[in-house]
Amino acid sequence: MGQRLNMSSYWIEPALLAVCLAMAAVPGSAQPAPPFVGTDTCAACHEDIANAIAKSPHHLVDTDKKRGWNGRVCESCHGPGQKHAESGDAAAIHNPARLAAAAADRICLTCHLNQPTHIGRLQSSHARDAVACTTCHKVHANGPEGLVLRKAAAINEQCAGCHDNVWAEFQRPNHHKLPEGAMACVDCHNPHGSIRPAMTQAFAANEPGCFTCHGDKRGPFAFEHAPVRFGGCATCHEPHGSANPRMLTRQSVQYVCLECHANLPALNGTRTIGVVPPAFHDLRSPTFQNCTVCHQKIHGSHVDRNLLK
Amino acid sequence: MNALLVVAIAIVSSTPGFAQQTQTAAPAPDSASSPVPSTESWITGWIDLGYRWQTGVGGSLDTYRSFVNLGSGPKLLGAEFTLIDPRHRLFDKIRVRANGWGGDPNETFHLDAEKSKLYRFSADYRDIAYFDYLPSYADPLLSRGIVLNEQAFDTRRKMGTFQLDLLPGKWITPYFGYEYNSGSGTGTTAFYTTANQFPVPTNLRESTNLYRGGVHIELSRFHATFEEGGTTFKDDQSVFQNPGPVNYGNVNTSSFGQTTDLTSLLAAYGIRGSSIYTRALFTASPASWLDLYGQFLYTQPRNDVNYQQHATGNLLLDPSLFYTSQSYLLSAAAKMPHTTGNFGAEMRPMRRLRLVTSWLTDRLHNAGSAASNQVSLNSSTSEQSAALLNSTLIDNYSQAEAQLFFDATSKLALRGGYRYVWGESSDAVLPPAGLASADQARFRRNIGLGGIIFRPSQKLSLTGEAEVGSSGAIDFRTSLNDYQKVRAMARYQAVKSLTVTSDFSALLNHNPAQGVNFDYRAQQQSVALLWTPAKIWNIQGSYTRSTVNSNIDYLDPGTLQPQVSQYRDNAHTASALFNLMLPPRSGFVPTITAGGSFFTSSGSRPTNYYQPIATLRLPVGKHLTWFAEWRYYGFGEAFYLYEGFHSHLVTTGLRFTR
Repeated sequence: MGQRLNMSSYWIEPALLAVCLAMAAVPGSAQPAPPFVGTDTCAACHEDIANAIAKSPHHLVDTDKKRGWNGRVCESCHGPGQKHAESGDAAAIHNPARLAAAAADRICLTCHLNQPTHIGRLQSSHARDAVACTTCHKVHANGPEGLVLRKAAAINEQCAGCHDNVWAEFQRPNHHKLPEGAMACVDCHNPHGSIRPAMTQAFAANEPGCFTCHGDKRGPFAFEHAPVRFGGCATCHEPHGSANPRMLTRQSVQYVCLECHANLPALNGTRTIGVVPPAFHDLRSPTFQNCTVCHQKIHGSHVDRNLLK
Repeated sequence: MNALLVVAIAIVSSTPGFAQQTQTAAPAPDSASSPVPSTESWITGWIDLGYRWQTGVGGSLDTYRSFVNLGSGPKLLGAEFTLIDPRHRLFDKIRVRANGWGGDPNETFHLDAEKSKLYRFSADYRDIAYFDYLPSYADPLLSRGIVLNEQAFDTRRKMGTFQLDLLPGKWITPYFGYEYNSGSGTGTTAFYTTANQFPVPTNLRESTNLYRGGVHIELSRFHATFEEGGTTFKDDQSVFQNPGPVNYGNVNTSSFGQTTDLTSLLAAYGIRGSSIYTRALFTASPASWLDLYGQFLYTQPRNDVNYQQHATGNLLLDPSLFYTSQSYLLSAAAKMPHTTGNFGAEMRPMRRLRLVTSWLTDRLHNAGSAASNQVSLNSSTSEQSAALLNSTLIDNYSQAEAQLFFDATSKLALRGGYRYVWGESSDAVLPPAGLASADQARFRRNIGLGGIIFRPSQKLSLTGEAEVGSSGAIDFRTSLNDYQKVRAMARYQAVKSLTVTSDFSALLNHNPAQGVNFDYRAQQQSVALLWTPAKIWNIQGSYTRSTVNSNIDYLDPGTLQPQVSQYRDNAHTASALFNLMLPPRSGFVPTITAGGSFFTSSGSRPTNYYQPIATLRLPVGKHLTWFAEWRYYGFGEAFYLYEGFHSHLVTTGLRFTR
């Protein structure tokens, strides 16, 4: 079943793309020149916003001749403002804050689509769940933080505003030091999206972002521990926080290990990695209940095939 | 620290304030040419200086240090300021943030500098103290009442990140970056022999450097980034025991009529690594209804290892032979080419319809080899053995996905899609030894995706998503097999002053295969509120309940009896913060903040962790605020009472604001 579906996916995507590219070649109908009024007209009424924009990174839009926005920074997002300027009617101009997230994002992406941070955007849960750019970025903002929060504690507070459950995990005794302000959520996650699971950051192109700090776990090792490579750190660790030491997923080391090294190959015809028994260890002995006393190089060893040193 | 000082001096010396103080003849800024109003200060921000008293730790100081590690003394508790140069000489703006300097375990410093049309520069430095001494983690002697954690470390990790973007034009941006991270310190580990393990000291010293450079090319409808980089790595860990007291190890029973001991040890790792990597990314918008993106990522890290070890004592190295000394030399190498490719598109054929499709492949191949030579001696015999081992590890992962997004109305959006995941994994060491030397597995998974977003008004939003997967094959016993994952969020602004959010997530994973019987259920639900009924006070709080319930079969390796690994976690977490503005005194408004976080759990590892806090802030001048803070940390475990602790911390200081 799976293989058959797999084969079908090979031709569906190229075919869709070909159709879309062909449609792209059809020239669009000519549009009448839009009635722009210019930044100065907007500033006459919206002075506070105009002043803020002038000091924010978005002031560059006002000189953007490439996209035709020079002198029209406000209308680059809000659209032509002549009707609104003449009538003063709020309904006579686009307000991105009142648009659906996807439509509001499209306005931002007019300029920002082409940025390396957005490569994984379409796969991000933020894009899927219609979390608009403006949820985190303040388009008109000015001040030390600029358009987006920069200080670790402030970033964490903002993320926790939606991810209450995750923030609660950081209140456990063993945790990464986010509540202390030493780290920010964006140190490990790219809120715009990533090719890695859970929108995690990458180290050196395509390796897990965990290696940015935990370089000694990166390897490669002459003797690898397979789940570190295949399942990532979260196979054995709760990356946000845990009541268990070393942020383990289980209360003591032996269960973390034995659940894979189980001596019991599945009998349904499939085969999994690591089921073979860890010798004939007597689990009644405290030594054997603490696997990492002997198997110290559990993340991979340069020296010993059994990860003993 | 010296580098920071140099940077600080450079910043201060280039600030206009400093220039005005030291160069009184300097011409006044030309306000006409400056976008910054002349009334605006060249520096804005704050700095907190203070002193912290720790009133002593009741209970385990080691656990306190492992979790909290805050100490007494004078501190630079935090700082954040922005410098603006109205004359735009070396920079337009510099932002600086610092936190926890003065012996705290988390010292951070960040600097952003920019000059329009010339450069953007950022520097980030962190010095993290990592103390870890929790005997309940791995201590085989606990049953004898000996608290000696054989995996305990007292290290510092220092990390720096520097990036410079050059801005010569609008369509091309070259950039350069440098990162480093290093760990060093001491610890306790175990030296392993066949019949015993000996707790011994270890010195840890490793570092990674990363260099990169690239260019962003930005056209109207097309963008590309090309980046080349490389890393260097070294690890010089050593494990030792100086000649002196005899180390009898963890096992005090005799083997073959003798007890084993260790009288001296020196083991040294010499690991040197390097890698290159390549990133090539593009995004394109060839038509108003079509966005494309793709990337190619490649890295090839490599490590070369020289390991030497010399030990003396009465060592059982062979199942039945004792030796008085052992020498072990090993040379090893490993390399791991890792390639990732990704391509996707968003198509908007109709106003309310979007199709997002993507394909990803990630291919990782590790090859290693190790050549070793061991010489063992005793009074009557000498034995030499050599070994050559080769290893491989392969992981080929692929994924294809398509999702359709439909805006049913302006308030309701729906999505649905399908993801297929497939690949194979293998792991082998040759020649074979023991019961396992080669493993391989295939995996394939069909996943249905769905979601709904309903925003009937500005005050209410509801989001839900679900993922249902079924696997034909898996690579690990604990992998996602037949699973359901759901998440729902709600946000409601009842009145202008009260916002309530709620979050629910659950993961159910089930593998009924005989010999596995894996049943995993995790659930989290939380509710949070922000209430600001009056200008003078507000309250924010949250409560989260989470449960984990896991059962999986295994066979006890010693008795060969079937067992079930059960894990239960039933946790309650609450946090709250109450802010109150007191009546003004001499025109200044004091504020009180109180709250904290509270965690309690039952199940496999019942734990309590409380962190209440109270703060008083009292402005004493236009630019000066006095503050005092009390914190309490309390930790306790039902099964590991000796790890419990509690501590009070009192901090007072001054905030200088500008």
